[in-house]
Amino acid sequence: MIALHATLAEPQHFSAPEKTIFLALILASVALFFQRFGPVLKKILQSKKDPGFTLTPIGRRTWDFFSEVLCQSKVIRQRPLPGLAHAFVFWSFLAFALVTLNHCAVGFGIGFLHPKGQGISGLFSRFYFYLAAAFAITCAISITGLFIRRFFLRPKWFGKEVSYESGLIAFLIFALMVTYLAAFFITDASPYAHVLWWLHTLTLLAFLPVIPHTKHLHLVLSPVTVFLSRGKFSDIPPLVGDEDFGLVAGQDLTQIVSLQAYSCVECGRCTEHCPAANTGKALNPKEIILGVRAYLNEIGPATEEPLLGKHNSQEAVFQCTTCGACEFQCPVGIEHLPIIVGLRRGAVNTGAWENDYGSKLFNQLERGSNALGIGAVERDKFNQKESLPIFDGTQEYCLWLGCMGAYDPKGREIVSSFARVMNYLGTSYGVLKKEKCTGDPVRRLGNDLVFQQLAEANLETLAQNKVKKIVSICPHCVRTIQEDWKAYGTPPEIEHHSEFMARHIDKLPQAQDKEKIVFHDPCYLGRYRNVYDEPRQLVQISGTLVEAPRHRERSFCCGAGGGLAFLGEESGERVSHVRAKELIETGATTIGTACPFCNTMFRDALAASETPAPQLLDIAQLVARSLPVDNKA
Amino acid sequence: MKIIVAIKQVPDRDAPVRIDAAGKWIEESDLQFTMNEPDAYALEEALRLKEAHGGEVIVLSAGPERVGATIREALAKGADRAIHISAEDLGTRDALGVAKLLAEAVKSEFGPESPDLILTGLQSEDLGLGQTGVILAELLNLPHASLILHVEKTDSGLKVKRELEAGWFQEIELPTPAVLTIQSGGNKLRYATLMGIKKAKTKEMRVAAAEQLSSKTPPTAVLEKIALPSKQRSTQILPGTPKEAAAALVEKLKFEVRVL
Repeated sequence: MIALHATLAEPQHFSAPEKTIFLALILASVALFFQRFGPVLKKILQSKKDPGFTLTPIGRRTWDFFSEVLCQSKVIRQRPLPGLAHAFVFWSFLAFALVTLNHCAVGFGIGFLHPKGQGISGLFSRFYFYLAAAFAITCAISITGLFIRRFFLRPKWFGKEVSYESGLIAFLIFALMVTYLAAFFITDASPYAHVLWWLHTLTLLAFLPVIPHTKHLHLVLSPVTVFLSRGKFSDIPPLVGDEDFGLVAGQDLTQIVSLQAYSCVECGRCTEHCPAANTGKALNPKEIILGVRAYLNEIGPATEEPLLGKHNSQEAVFQCTTCGACEFQCPVGIEHLPIIVGLRRGAVNTGAWENDYGSKLFNQLERGSNALGIGAVERDKFNQKESLPIFDGTQEYCLWLGCMGAYDPKGREIVSSFARVMNYLGTSYGVLKKEKCTGDPVRRLGNDLVFQQLAEANLETLAQNKVKKIVSICPHCVRTIQEDWKAYGTPPEIEHHSEFMARHIDKLPQAQDKEKIVFHDPCYLGRYRNVYDEPRQLVQISGTLVEAPRHRERSFCCGAGGGLAFLGEESGERVSHVRAKELIETGATTIGTACPFCNTMFRDALAASETPAPQLLDIAQLVARSLPVDNKA
Repeated sequence: MKIIVAIKQVPDRDAPVRIDAAGKWIEESDLQFTMNEPDAYALEEALRLKEAHGGEVIVLSAGPERVGATIREALAKGADRAIHISAEDLGTRDALGVAKLLAEAVKSEFGPESPDLILTGLQSEDLGLGQTGVILAELLNLPHASLILHVEKTDSGLKVKRELEAGWFQEIELPTPAVLTIQSGGNKLRYATLMGIKKAKTKEMRVAAAEQLSSKTPPTAVLEKIALPSKQRSTQILPGTPKEAAAALVEKLKFEVRVL
C-alpha cells in the first residue's frame, strides 16, 4: 500500500557507473543548451550598441525587476487567472532552484539538504521540502490549467498554429512536479527511489536544451529584458551620426531590440489589445516582434538587407496608431513603439515610404505651419473672434492651441470652452501670435527631418516669448512638447487641461443634472502620461461617470494617433467605429473626451451610427456648461 | 538628359506681409521663405525624367544668401548639383534682368552647347509675372512651351501636355533642347528626407556673382508703389427657410453670377 511519509525519499547509494552516466548526461544537456543558446546570444551581442544607453537609474530598473519579474505584477494584473497560474509556475521554479541543486548533489553523494537530519539543518531541510511540495502542487495544477487553456480553450490571439512545443514543455514541468511529489510516498530503501530519482533527473536534463529552442527562451532572457528596458513609455531613441536613419537594415538593430525580439513569449497580449489587429488590418504587433526575430535568425544583425520585406511589411508598420496598448501590456518588457516607429523612421528618412497622404502631410508641414494645411491667417481670425489675449510674458500660462485647437471647428469649441473656464478661475493666460504644429504626426510617422524643424522653430518661439508654463487641450501636443522635444532643447513645463482643471476643482461649479457620461481615455493622456483620475473627477462634477468595458490602461484607441488621422481611408473595419459602438452601448447620454483627435474621430463615427448617438463633449465643454452665464465666480 | 531647373525663393504663404518704409517693397525682416510652388513641381518633373532616363539635374537659383536653404532643399530632394547666382538686388531687376542673369549662368555652365531641357515654374507666387521662363528661352534662342503638366521623352524630342482653360488640354511635340514652364499639380510632390539632407551636404553648390555674369542694364519696367488689397466684404445672407434660401441662391447663381 502507498503511504505518505514524513519526508521525501532520497536514494542513498549511487554506483560509479551511475555517477559517470549522470555526469555525462549533465554535460550533454548543458552542451545542447549552449549549442542552441550560443548563436542567439551571439546575435544579440553582435547587434549595434544602443546609443545613449546607461544602467542608471538603477533604482527604477531594480524596482521594475522586483515588480514585473519577481512579483509578476503585470502578468497577473492584466490577465488575472492565467496570470496567476503563470506566477505559480514561476514561483515554483524559484523555489525549486535549491531543491534541484540538492537533487543533483545527491547523485554525486554530496546532497546538502538532509530531511532526516537533526537540529537546525534537518528542520530547515524538512521545512524547505514541504514548502517546495506546496509549490509543486500549485504548479502542477497551474500548468494543467494553462495546458487546457492553450490546447482546448485556444484563445484566438495565440494564433492559428498550435504550439506542440508548449505541450512538451507543459508535460515536462508536470512530470518534474509529479516525480518530486511522488518521492513523498516511498522510502529511501524502496527500489522505486532510484527509479524516481532518475525520472526526475531525465526530465530536468531534457528540459534544459528545449529552452533556447522555443519561446521558453523567455525563461532566460525576459528578466534581463525587463531590467534593461528603456523604462520610459514609447521612448524613441535619438539618431546618432550621419548614417543613422532609424531601423533600415539589420545593422541598425540595437542590442536591446534584438534582446527584446528573442524574449517574446508569444502570449499575444499585444495582439489582443491592438486596435489595428482587432479591426482586420495587416498589423499584428506580435508578428512584428517575431518578424524581427525571424530576420535575426535567417539574416542576422550587422547586415544591409532591408528589415521591411520578407519578415515585416511596410503596410503593417504604417497601420499602427501608436496607442501603445501593446507596449503597456507586454509582460516580458518588449517596447513595441520604438521598434515600430523605428521601422517607420527607416522607411521615411530614406524616402522608401511612398504614400500620397503622407507626402502631402510632410510637404504641408515643411512649408506651412499646421497639419491641416490651412493658412495661418485663419488662426489669427479665430484668436480675434474669441478675443483670446496674446501672450506677452506677463501672463502665468501660455495656452497652446495646437493644430486642432486653432483650425478644427470642434477643436476651437474646446479651446473656447477652456478659455471660459480659465477666465472664470481668473487665471492669466495668453496665446502665441504664431505657433507651428508640435510635430506629433511626423514624429510618429518617422519623419525626423520635419520633426526637428518644427521642434526647433517652436522652441525658439517659446524662448523668445519667455514662456514658463504651457497648458494645452491636446494630449498629443502635451506629450510631444514635454518628451519628444527634449532631443532638441529644453521645453517649458506643460500640462493637459484636465490636470489644470482638476487642480482647481474645488472652485468649479457642480452640474445639477446628473446625466450618464462615459469617459473615453485618450491613449496619449492615459498610457503615455498616466493621467486617468483627473478627467474622471471633472466628469463626476458634470454628471454621473460610466465606464466603458475597456477603460483606463486598457482603453481602446480612437484610431487617430500615429499620424493616421491624416492618412486617409483605413482597410478593414474603422477603429473609430468599433470604439464609438462600445461607448454608445454603455447607455450614456454623453461621451466625454479629453483629446481633440478622439473628438474628431468620434464625431464622424457617431454621424455614421445607426443608433441614436449620444452627445460628444470634451471635458472642458462639460465643465463650461455649468459655469454661470456671466462667467463670474 | 541634362536638365536645369530654375527655382525662385519666395515668401512663405503664411508669412505676414507688410509694406516697407519706402513703400516700394515688402518688409523682408520677419518673413519666412520657401520654394516657389510651381518651381517645386518643375523640380519634381525633372527628378522623374532623370529617374526614367538617367542624366543629371542641376538647380539654378538667384538671390541673396538665404536662397541657399531653398537650394539645399532641392538637392535634398534629389538634384545633383546647384548654381547659386548671388545677387542682393534681385528686387530691383525686372523679369528681363533676372532672365538675363539666368541665361548667362546657363551659358557659363555649358558654353555654346545647352542642356537638354530647362524647366521652371510657370510663375512665381510673389510677383506672378509669368515671364521669366519664356524670356529665358528667347535669350537662349530655344523653343519653349508654357503651362506644362506633363513631359514625356520621345525619340525625336519631347511630347508635353499643356493645360488650357475649362478642363481642356493640349498635347504638343517639340525638339530638345527646349525651355518649359511647369504648372502646379501635374505630379505628386515628393517629401524631403533626412537622408537626402545629409547627402545634399556633400553635393556641389557653385556660387556665381551676379555682377560677373551680366552687367546691370536699366530695367524696362520700374516699380513705383505697392499696396495691400483693400478689403471688400460682399457676403450676402439669404434669409428664409432652407428651401426659400436655396431657391434664392439658385436664382442668384443663374442670373447674377451666371454660373448655372
